[in-house]
Amino acid sequence: MSTRPPKVVVSEVSVTFESHGRSVLALDRISLQAHAGEFLCIVGPSGSGKSTLLRVVAGLLRQSAGAVRIEADRPGTPLTAMVFQEHALLPWRTVRDNVTFGLENRGVPRAERDARAREMLAMVGLTRFARHYPHQLSGGMKQRVGIARALANDPEVLLMDEPLAALDAQTRTIMQEELLRIWATLGKTVVYVTHSLEEALLLGDRIVLLGSPAYGALLEKIWSQLREEVVRAMAEDRRGERA
Amino acid sequence: MRALGRWLTEHWIAVGSPLLLLVAWEWASATGLLREAFFPRPSTIAAHLRQLAADGTLWGHTAMTLIRIGWAFALAAVLGVSVGLAMGLWRRLRDGLDPVFAVIYPIPSVLFLPFVSFLVPPGEIALVVTTAVTSFFLIAFTTTQGVRQIDRLVVEAAVHYGARGWRLFATVLIVVVAVEIVAASRGLGALLWLSWQILKIEDMYATFFVIAFLGALLSYGLAAFRARLLPWIQDVAEP
Repeated sequence: MSTRPPKVVVSEVSVTFESHGRSVLALDRISLQAHAGEFLCIVGPSGSGKSTLLRVVAGLLRQSAGAVRIEADRPGTPLTAMVFQEHALLPWRTVRDNVTFGLENRGVPRAERDARAREMLAMVGLTRFARHYPHQLSGGMKQRVGIARALANDPEVLLMDEPLAALDAQTRTIMQEELLRIWATLGKTVVYVTHSLEEALLLGDRIVLLGSPAYGALLEKIWSQLREEVVRAMAEDRRGERA
Repeated sequence: MRALGRWLTEHWIAVGSPLLLLVAWEWASATGLLREAFFPRPSTIAAHLRQLAADGTLWGHTAMTLIRIGWAFALAAVLGVSVGLAMGLWRRLRDGLDPVFAVIYPIPSVLFLPFVSFLVPPGEIALVVTTAVTSFFLIAFTTTQGVRQIDRLVVEAAVHYGARGWRLFATVLIVVVAVEIVAASRGLGALLWLSWQILKIEDMYATFFVIAFLGALLSYGLAAFRARLLPWIQDVAEP
């Protein structure tokens, strides 16, 4: 993975919020990289600043110090497109018009917009719902629209802020598989924020941990257990071969 | 005919309860339980109404009232939405105007007529402005609330996907105005009443029925139209 060129480079980023006259340090000199085509998961408990970091990468929030660089090799396409936690669809627009919103703002001609919307809605399996309004859709379907909206912009990097957190367990499992399928199809660089280590292990090529040292210690424990299991399984395999 | 039948099975209570009230009134006035001098029978009123309709008085007054409401509502809407938007966006303005509005709002509109008559030409214009006063406060108030209730996440998403300047403002405005229409459709009947009060129409009971009927028609009509016009509105305005 490290042989691929870096796509997102976050160097020494700090974010300070002013709250009731006191300044709160939300991010303290964070550095990380996401490589081209990589599915990078950022995991941390709530309050660890993982959403803040994603918002800085998306350009929705300005960092107090440090720098974010996103390598763009196709001029004209947006650097990032975000899938929001609470879908954040525009309720007065149909599914199709939500998907084309970003393209419309960039002045992409109508025919091209509609073709792109059809393609993206087919990819997330919502072709039949193009004319529906968000309130007519289930939670999982709304989030599919959110994903289609982001992908329609063909961004350099796809950002996802706990997109499946609000869904029920069953829908979440289906959506996770869908996400991996879409990622494998498009080969996009994805930066995915989640509080669930399980989800990160399932989806991520690589996992970045944000948060307290205790959290890291917990992961190390899980990691060493996992390694022991793998080693034991391999040893059993070898015994099986010799027999 | 089948459509009418289906409509009746769904709405028979809404249709039946006013009818029942009328029948009870008729009976009470006929038996002397209510004094006919103050509570004429509905059938008498209906006859009178027919007469008013025949000599044209009714239509003239109804048309005049509707035109007046149209102007008053347009005036109140333009000013109310503007002031409400400003109050919603700027906290200092809101802090300053809230107490003023709280004092003025409960005063019945009719009492403004003398003041308004000093400011604008008395007569038709003064009546329209006076009618607009209460609606203005109501609209400004709901607009302020509307702006404050805008989902920050939706605005952030709009910004993220490249909405700038006018297009961004439109996304904010569209929600507020839509919420407005919902509020307005609930208040139109009251507006109708108000304008009738100011006009001081004679034939109180006859006009009572016309007004009640028109008010119901406007409110129900707009509510029915709303679903057509703003199919997404339940997502924004009604929790």
